[in-house]
Amino acid sequence: MANNLLPTQEIGSLPKAPWLLSYLRGRNLEQSDFDHLEKWSDISSFEGKHETLEILNHTKTSAKELRLRQLASLFGLRFLESTGLDIVYDGEANRIEMYEHAIKNTNGFQFYGRVRSFDNRYYRKAACVQRVGFRFAYHSDEFEYVLKQAKKQVKVPVTGPYTLAEWSFNEYYLEKLMKKSNDLRAIKEQAKREFLLDIANEMLRPNLESLVRAGARWVQIDEPALATRPEDIPLFVEAFNECTHGINCKFSVHICYSNYQSLYPHILELKNCSQLALEFANRDTSRQSAYEQLRLMKDAGDTREIGLGVLDVHVNSIEEPKVVMTRILNAARFIEADKIYVNPDCGLRTRPWDVAYEKLYNMVAGAKLAREAMGASR
Amino acid sequence: MQEIHLTGNFPRPEPLIEMTRQFDRGRTSEIEVQRHLDHSVNALLELQISNKLDMLVDGQLNWQDLFRPFTELLAGINPGTLTRWFDNNTFYRRPIVVDRVKRAELPPTKYYRHDLIPEGRGKAIMPGPYTFAKLSENAAYSSFADLVDDLAHSLASISKELTSSGYRFLQLNEPSLCTATIEELEIAMRAYDILAKSSPRIMLQTYFSSISHIKDKLVDFPVDCIGVDLYANDLSIFETGSVTTDISCGCIDGRNSLVEPVDQTVELATKIIEAVAPHRVYIGPNCDLEFLPYPVAAKKVQLLGAVRRSLIGE
Repeated sequence: MANNLLPTQEIGSLPKAPWLLSYLRGRNLEQSDFDHLEKWSDISSFEGKHETLEILNHTKTSAKELRLRQLASLFGLRFLESTGLDIVYDGEANRIEMYEHAIKNTNGFQFYGRVRSFDNRYYRKAACVQRVGFRFAYHSDEFEYVLKQAKKQVKVPVTGPYTLAEWSFNEYYLEKLMKKSNDLRAIKEQAKREFLLDIANEMLRPNLESLVRAGARWVQIDEPALATRPEDIPLFVEAFNECTHGINCKFSVHICYSNYQSLYPHILELKNCSQLALEFANRDTSRQSAYEQLRLMKDAGDTREIGLGVLDVHVNSIEEPKVVMTRILNAARFIEADKIYVNPDCGLRTRPWDVAYEKLYNMVAGAKLAREAMGASR
Repeated sequence: MQEIHLTGNFPRPEPLIEMTRQFDRGRTSEIEVQRHLDHSVNALLELQISNKLDMLVDGQLNWQDLFRPFTELLAGINPGTLTRWFDNNTFYRRPIVVDRVKRAELPPTKYYRHDLIPEGRGKAIMPGPYTFAKLSENAAYSSFADLVDDLAHSLASISKELTSSGYRFLQLNEPSLCTATIEELEIAMRAYDILAKSSPRIMLQTYFSSISHIKDKLVDFPVDCIGVDLYANDLSIFETGSVTTDISCGCIDGRNSLVEPVDQTVELATKIIEAVAPHRVYIGPNCDLEFLPYPVAAKKVQLLGAVRRSLIGE
């Protein structure tokens, strides 16, 4: 049963299980792979341990690989459930990466190599070389399995249209326009709009419709690239509204590492969005509370729910429950408590499993402390 | 008069990316990473030389971001939180100024590979003092101007060391300058007075934004060359008589994989050469090429080589 006040949710990704990676890459499994499976199966009451071991210890076949992928999904789901979260998914266990998974399963793109995200972290960036086209509903099988297995409320993370466009090189739409003009700045803008709207209509919308047909009740549109270019916010709003209008489902938007000031007032025009899930902990310092930025929402009259980032996903240090509680209480100065959902800043895929677990576990404990503090003060 | 050059960080080739990932996972040694790094710097220099680029850069392949080396080369600055690098899907650690900024003991050789660059052809790149201060979290100075001033002195000190090591050109990256206020432009200009004597030639490189807002003030900066991003500016920026320095013309897009047609690039460069004559034009990318995968960036270097052959000949 989900908490009515301050429900806790994950945002998306977990690291990939090392035994899954070893198996998929055809590497010999090491003792550490088995230790990982053993340890987290016990902690999270993962019922598929023996079947997983059976597959890992036998010759690889495509049927076994398919089943192992399902088990990895179940493993991620149970891991998240065991931390006490109210709203879960499977840690995106079978998505290579939030961008690459979507692009690889859509027509019109070609990968050239990796580009840097930060430090030694890279992602594969594709170029759009032909008109964007739907190939198949790339989240539906995964979602149907998770929905069947989940013991908690399910929210599906889906990479949003703006991020998919922004993280791709736009060759097709640019080259088409370059033949007509040599005003580089102007054609770049026009090409961006055409590309984005094709992603929204030809790629995202059929995927969202398919998820809802399969039973999805809540889809989180991930837009980490949003607010990269403040002038593009109206364009994002247009694309979001295009791909979600008329679809009967709760939609939230996850945004991180961005200037939230630039979102307003345009973001108020999102027509089918109930929640903004935002990163704050990364920018919360002893000198200034990041949660004061929620004043922006208050001043803009934005009454939607807030997914409150209370865990910094880029450091291994574990936030104490009291730190989480303080962050929630700081936020509650600006947002009605019954509008607050508690979550990490972003997906935890870059953290080790034990760090991800302890962070989430403490987050759940911190939300409980905040609930108690709020109850005590009322 | 034209020269061809690169303007910033070059992407790491795949083997070096893989090696740094292995290093982070504790699966390889620092010596092995360094061996790959040296090999990659040499390969990049060879790529530039074979395409007849005039000025050579080492690609800054071991820089984690524009500021990170300076958290070691300068005292008083620590790396801070991850922050978006302008409008890119790339992040830097925001420098935190925790104490008075001074030159630290560390020699610059770890981050400037003049040992590998042919004598007299190297261009050193560093953050401009204004952008450095603007994008830092200032927890030590009561005055922004004092911070810019100390950064300028410290960067000038490194620049002098680099000049004595053989660099003939210093490029200072100033993307933030495009949105500076009049007062801030005055502060920045004083910083460039400090830096002016530290290198034989100084290039002030703007990118990602239009310079129209600061153009009138920019002509008074004591620099030899100003870099302009042509994907953020239109050609009217070079209207007759308005150019008083050499120009670095960013007409190759460092943020899109589409390799520009040679003839279209030559046509554009020719227009600029005619507009800014008799000043020299440096033709290159609008910004770092590190936003591209290595094979695409290498193709853009080959494009620059083809543009050079068309404009200057073999």
